[in-house]
Amino acid sequence: MASKLGTVISSATEIAKGLGITLREMMQPALTEDYPDVAPSFQERYRGKHVLRRDENGLEKCVGCFLCAAACPVECIYIEAAENTELVRISGGERYAKVYNIDYSRCIFCGYCVEACPTDAITHGHGFELASYDVSTLIQRKEMMLEAAKPGAKAPVIAPVAAGGHH
Amino acid sequence: MADVTFTVNGKSLQAPAGTLLIDACKRSGIEIPAFCYYEGLALQAACRMCLVEVEKAPKLLAGCTLPVAEGMVVHTESPAVVKARKTTLEFLLTNHPLDCPVCDKGGECELQDMVFRYGAGESRFTEIKHHVDEKQWSPVVYFDAPRCILCYRCVRICDEGLGVKALGVTNRGAYAEITPNKGDHLECDECGSCIDICPVGALTSGIYRYQTRPWEMEHVGTICTHCSNGCKTTLGVKNDQIIRGNNRDRSGINGEFLCVKGRYAFDFVGHAERLQSPLMRVDGKLVEVSWSKALAHVAQKFSEIKAAGGKFGVIGSEHTTNEENFYLQKFARQGLGTPHIDHRRSGDVPALLDAVSGKSGALATTADLYNAKAVLIIGSDLSQQHPFLAYQIRSDARHHQAKIFTVTEGPVREDKVAAKKVRAAAGEQLAAVMGLAEDLRAAGDLVVVFGDSIQGSAVGELVSFIDSLGVPAKYVCLVDYANSRGALDMGLAPHLGPGYHAAAQTGMSLSEMLADATLDALWVVGSNPLKSAKLASEKAFVVVQELFLTETAQRADVVLPAASAYEKSGTVTNVCGEAQRLRKAVSVMGAKADLDIFGLLARGMRLDLGQAAPDKVFEEIRTSVHGYNVPLPVIATGGAAMTAPVNGRLPAAAQPPAIQSARDSLFTSGSLGRYSKVLKTVLEAPGGLYKP
Ligand code: SF4
Ligand code: SF4
Ligand code: SF4
Ligand code: SF4
Ligand code: SF4
Ligand code: FES
Repeated sequence: MASKLGTVISSATEIAKGLGITLREMMQPALTEDYPDVAPSFQERYRGKHVLRRDENGLEKCVGCFLCAAACPVECIYIEAAENTELVRISGGERYAKVYNIDYSRCIFCGYCVEACPTDAITHGHGFELASYDVSTLIQRKEMMLEAAKPGAKAPVIAPVAAGGHH
Repeated sequence: MADVTFTVNGKSLQAPAGTLLIDACKRSGIEIPAFCYYEGLALQAACRMCLVEVEKAPKLLAGCTLPVAEGMVVHTESPAVVKARKTTLEFLLTNHPLDCPVCDKGGECELQDMVFRYGAGESRFTEIKHHVDEKQWSPVVYFDAPRCILCYRCVRICDEGLGVKALGVTNRGAYAEITPNKGDHLECDECGSCIDICPVGALTSGIYRYQTRPWEMEHVGTICTHCSNGCKTTLGVKNDQIIRGNNRDRSGINGEFLCVKGRYAFDFVGHAERLQSPLMRVDGKLVEVSWSKALAHVAQKFSEIKAAGGKFGVIGSEHTTNEENFYLQKFARQGLGTPHIDHRRSGDVPALLDAVSGKSGALATTADLYNAKAVLIIGSDLSQQHPFLAYQIRSDARHHQAKIFTVTEGPVREDKVAAKKVRAAAGEQLAAVMGLAEDLRAAGDLVVVFGDSIQGSAVGELVSFIDSLGVPAKYVCLVDYANSRGALDMGLAPHLGPGYHAAAQTGMSLSEMLADATLDALWVVGSNPLKSAKLASEKAFVVVQELFLTETAQRADVVLPAASAYEKSGTVTNVCGEAQRLRKAVSVMGAKADLDIFGLLARGMRLDLGQAAPDKVFEEIRTSVHGYNVPLPVIATGGAAMTAPVNGRLPAAAQPPAIQSARDSLFTSGSLGRYSKVLKTVLEAPGGLYKP
């Protein structure tokens, strides 16, 4: 008989122990997040949608060197470069990216582009809401990734170029 | 010279005495890194990158100036050598800006490669670098002094290769700088050779600057469409746009040589005035119509005129491919049943072929110009009109001490290397040549290059005079454009069919067609005869295939937009008779290749002229045109195959044709040159009036 009683007591102890943990955790702050009701928080180095950075003068950091595009394993970065002139100065270097597209239907968020960039122009931001019903909207243009100039920064010089330049 | 035996890194090697160590090692697969050493240019020994250890020598020696000697024992990878290379590179980098991300050379920079392979990982230099602003020397040449490693390659290629001498060095030591001949700008050929040969990004091209990076382009090796020299140009293409031209891999007959036209004047391709849609005359005005409408209209008109027994005149081009020319003459003679076919003539090739009939090897290749013991230039300013031939001759004089003779109207650049120069008016040049008999006989092994001043019977006289000297001789008859020679070989002449066979019926020449008031139809393909002449026949139905609305196209009833040589495949034959293959680099909106247009018209007229595809027509040329049975692998792999078009007497023309060279300069290229922004800006820049 003694053994039966012993079983009951040890079971009750185990249950009490388990419930004790439950009770303790109930008192702790919650770890899960209330997305989408509450905006999620990220680790600082989370690799989300890219942000193209500006320097302290508000000029684009990207100098159109194509190294990110060369490093990208899925070839989803498309760049067209052009030369800065006295009248049109977009970046700090001689060259700037006239077109800079990333195709998010292919990007695997590996971070190689960020590693490759010699001017820290491309970084991973924390944007992650990229899902879409239309795959063509997954190609993002430079304007959609470029960070806003800091208040007080001198805006890039853009003077109107005389029409019909090329050809 | 006798071979000597020497040892490199424990390996016993042999090479002719006098060979430079760097060359001897390269042939045996041992690399000695170098910056300033450049095959074919004078020795400089400026960079010290090529230091090697030679036993019994007290110090490291420069491998680029060291001739191999019997018993020499060399180490190219010893600790002392490895250390010396690291130090040399560190030294070169002390004032180097390390602009690689924005430097046009990045990715194909010899300094990058060397540092990657031989350099130290870190720099000890912490001082402030000496900065000099970038300068623009001309519309095509920019110079960024801090990137320069003072290898003098640019100075030497311009002086020795081009004979221009536009670059020099000013100041000394750390402040030494490459400087152009006019202080702040260049007055030169604008050939871009200096930019191309620069191992680093110090010299950059105004056309290519900051456009893209080398690995982003597709590189298509094709043939320059401007002059008749047939240089291979490798076009860098991205998004169906040509971004640059060079021939850095030195494939092709021209090695790395290109003049301003082959390197930069591809920009006519994207000119705003390029025709993108067929035009048809409606109520006296040219209006845009669809291809099907334009082609149907031409086919219908041609069929009507043919059925009514009307008179057709056909004028071919000096830029279109052999396949197109062959197909066009077939179209004219078999399809339209007209003997009236011709093209603008710039040199009397038939007279030369007739004069050398029975001889073998009488036609010089471009390589022969580099190897001949003597070259006689008659009546042409080669550096202006035939830049690559001039380069070959200059190199021949420099490397082989060839004797050069110039018989020209005015001074020419070749005078500088000439053993004898003679000034004579066009009509007196043959007599002047005869006056050089003794010199020519003494020089031996001769290549004779002659322009349009020697034509008709004068060609025969020239050849028999040279024969009388008793020295082996080869000839080049100069013609103007990329396929002027091919147009003749393919039978675009009123009395000559393909391969210079007599045409079944002799037709009218170009000038006769234009002057014939009863002409019913004129079909002009890639030519601009109405630039300087008038069309006598008012009723003529005129069809023009062109890139632009030229003077001739403005008179047309139907204008069909044609593709340029950079937009199609086929073969062309250069001034020496070397056939080479065009590779399609880009596609453009609206235009069609001339061959495609012929094919569509033939179909529209229900003519059976065979399939109008380049490969098919080339096969027909190979089997039916004498001398074009060239080895396919050579052509297919981008090589040049010499054609020997005929060996026998040629039928005489009813009347000697009008032969006149357009005398283009370095910066012009017939109708095409007008649509090249680069050529125009170069002409308008200070120094544009530069007379070399
Ligand atoms: S994160 Fe990776 S896949 Fe995405 S763009 Fe950068 S390199 Fe390409
Ligand atoms: S020259 Fe070469 S090493 Fe120097 S900045 Fe340009 S790419 Fe870099
Ligand atoms: S562009 Fe040609 S001619 Fe002019 S400086 Fe350079 S190498 Fe000399
Ligand atoms: S500009 Fe280029 S080619 Fe000329 S000396 Fe400097 S590094 Fe050499
Ligand atoms: S020499 Fe003639 S073929 Fe050669 S690049 Fe110049 S124009 Fe073209
Ligand atoms: S390669 Fe020998 S010193 Fe430059």
